[in-house]
Parts: sequence; structure tokens; C-alpha cells
Amino acid sequence: MGVNESLGAVVKAFPQARLVAFADLSSRMILSSAGTLSTTQEHLDLLCDQARASFDDPLFSLSVEAFGEPHSAVVLGPDNVRVFLRSEFEPADAMCCICDHSIDLPAFVTKIRDTLESITQGG
Amino acid sequence: MNRGTLPIVARLQSLQAVSRFVPGGGRIIADPQDRNPLAQLLRAANETVLARSLRFESAAGPSLTLDVAGRRVLRLTDATGLPGAESCLGAEALEDEHKDDLIKLLQGVAVPRHELRVVSGPIGRGGEEVSVGLPVALLADLVLIELNDPGQDESPTEAAPPTESAAPVAASVTGLAGLAEALGPTLVAWLVSGGNDDGKSDGPDEMVSHLQGFLADERDSLDQQLDRLAASPGGPICLILGTALVEGHSILCARVDSALLLGVVEGDAPRATLMAWTAVMR
Repeated sequence: MGVNESLGAVVKAFPQARLVAFADLSSRMILSSAGTLSTTQEHLDLLCDQARASFDDPLFSLSVEAFGEPHSAVVLGPDNVRVFLRSEFEPADAMCCICDHSIDLPAFVTKIRDTLESITQGG
Repeated sequence: MNRGTLPIVARLQSLQAVSRFVPGGGRIIADPQDRNPLAQLLRAANETVLARSLRFESAAGPSLTLDVAGRRVLRLTDATGLPGAESCLGAEALEDEHKDDLIKLLQGVAVPRHELRVVSGPIGRGGEEVSVGLPVALLADLVLIELNDPGQDESPTEAAPPTESAAPVAASVTGLAGLAEALGPTLVAWLVSGGNDDGKSDGPDEMVSHLQGFLADERDSLDQQLDRLAASPGGPICLILGTALVEGHSILCARVDSALLLGVVEGDAPRATLMAWTAVMR
């Protein structure tokens, strides 16, 4: 299954996920995306920057010191939930998602973790 | 080919993705089957809110470079293979009198049945300060092009429509101390800095003391990190950071107005925090 199909399967399983994107954080680039949310290139660039910001200092260092290197971040805003996951095998590979507040977050995080590692190891 | 682009394109191919990127960091915005490449050109310019230089290249040969900002075309900085570009090239800022010439140039580069690509780069001259230029919407009106495709009226920062399966929320939660209370024992240690709940905390002394020391040292940089995620500087935001999130421990950091909560969540951090945060935001 290609990355487009993998992302599409996530959106199909979780309709509250309005954008599911696979990104290369090292080059700050969304490589593929799926979902009902229409975005411009600037929105995708911003989402990628927000993923990098989530895994940045000072909270990154606090987490490393306390529990180890973080690979997951959830950002709750007034209007949506953003979920960012970094691959445990290739830290530059990441999933960047925008969801409605009604999403089943634990199930969604588990699903996109599996999808991310599948893409990383398959790609 | 740009050396930095090579691995990305190779990766896209290995992922079986349809690559819309091209060597040199550009994007293909219209392919030979596209019936109206001029519409794609104008939409690309209209997407650009920040000041940027956009170079449009047709596979047929001609190219032109525009400085754009705030959905306006500020100036034409280069034109190749396009006759009649002199008046626009000589203008420090494009004005109403240039619109007809500019449209002819745009039509000249958006050649039907040929691939059209755009390369974005930093603007050559100060764009942020320039408030003139030609609105892309005006140019689109003149050539009868609809800038917004059906269904393209949403942006990631806009509110999501309500859904039937809305998350359950706590009945009434006020302030960040209320958020901590709503989270209950899931939040094993926490501290509020600033606002009406300034100084409130709970949890093992050693953990609270550690959080206190961290905030004393890092409050400013923490606000900067949250600003990169919030819709606006100082805006409300809540970040959960952890190894797995659904198990183990995670860091919780929430900001509302000038108050900031820093804590440690144990177990299913996303579900519990989402419920409490939704209640705070009501």
C-alpha cells in the first residue's frame, strides 16, 4: 500500500480527522496528505513548522529529562486538535494531523502510530 | 537538480506518491491536461499571504517572476520570452494602469496544454512595507476566473463544524486550577503560574518543586514555544508531550490568558485532557 492509500485509510476510519499528512521534518516538507480539509501550501508549511515546534525546547528537554525522548504531541486549540507523531526509527518522519474535538484520541493515536511506522519501514 | 531535493523526490517515488514537486524546489501547478493554467497561476499567487517571489515557468518556454504579498502582485521582476513586458518591469510597484499589460504577460506564460510550474523564493525587495500593488482578485475578475474552487473555503485554523459524536465534557471548569481538578488523579503533579490561580499546585513536593524550578528558568522561552503553536501570540493553547501519550507519563502544558499550567499526566493523557480542556474553552 502506498503512502496515499495509507493516509486515505486513516481518514476513512476516522472521519473526524480532517487532515492527515506525512511529513519530513528535516526538510520541513509535507510529502503527502489526505482528508476533507482543503489547504494551501502555506497551511501545510505552517503545520510542518508546528510539528517541529511541538518537539522543540524547552518542553522537549523537560520531557527527555523526566521520561525519555518524546515521540508524540497533541496540541489542543480552541477550534481543533492537532496530533503530531515522530517515528521512533526515523525521527524526521512524522505524521501531522488536524482533527475535530470529537475524535477518539487514544484510538486515533494508536492508528496513526501504526501507519507512520508502516510508511517509514516500507518507504 | 538541487541536492537537497534529490532525496525528497526519491522518497516520494518510493512512497508511490504522485509527486507534484520538481527539481529546484518548484511545484507543478498545471499539467498539459489542465484546461485553464491561468486560473492555477492566479490561485498560486492568491495563496501567498507572506511576501514572496514566485517564478512561473511554462514548459513552452516563457517565464516570469512576480513579487507577491498579501494576495497582491507587487511588481514584475523578470520576464523571459514574453514581449511587451517593459512597462511592468520598469514599475517600482504595479498600479491600475499596468493591469492590462500584466494580464497579457500572465496569459503569455500560462500556455494551454503545457506544464506550468512555480518556484517560491524570498522576495527581492522589501515587500512587507509595500501596501500597493494589484489585488489578485481584481486580476481574476478581469479574466473571469473564480479563485476559490468549490469546497476550498476552509483553512486549518477555522473552526470545525460540530459533529454528532461530540466529546463528553465536564460540566463546569473554570481556569487552569479548574482544569487540573477536572483531570483528577490522572494529573499526578501540577503547578499554575500567573493569573488568578497563581501559585496553586498539587502532587508530590519533589515533583512540584522540579516544575517550579523549570518555570522559573524557562517561562519566557516556554511562552515562545507555545506562541509557535497558538493561533496568535499569547493565545490559549494546550500541549501534551510524551513518548506514547496513551500510556506512561506525559508533560502537560496549558496556557489561558497570562496563566500557565505545567503538570505531569499519567496514563491516557489525551482523552482526559481533551475533555477537561473542552470544558475550559466553553
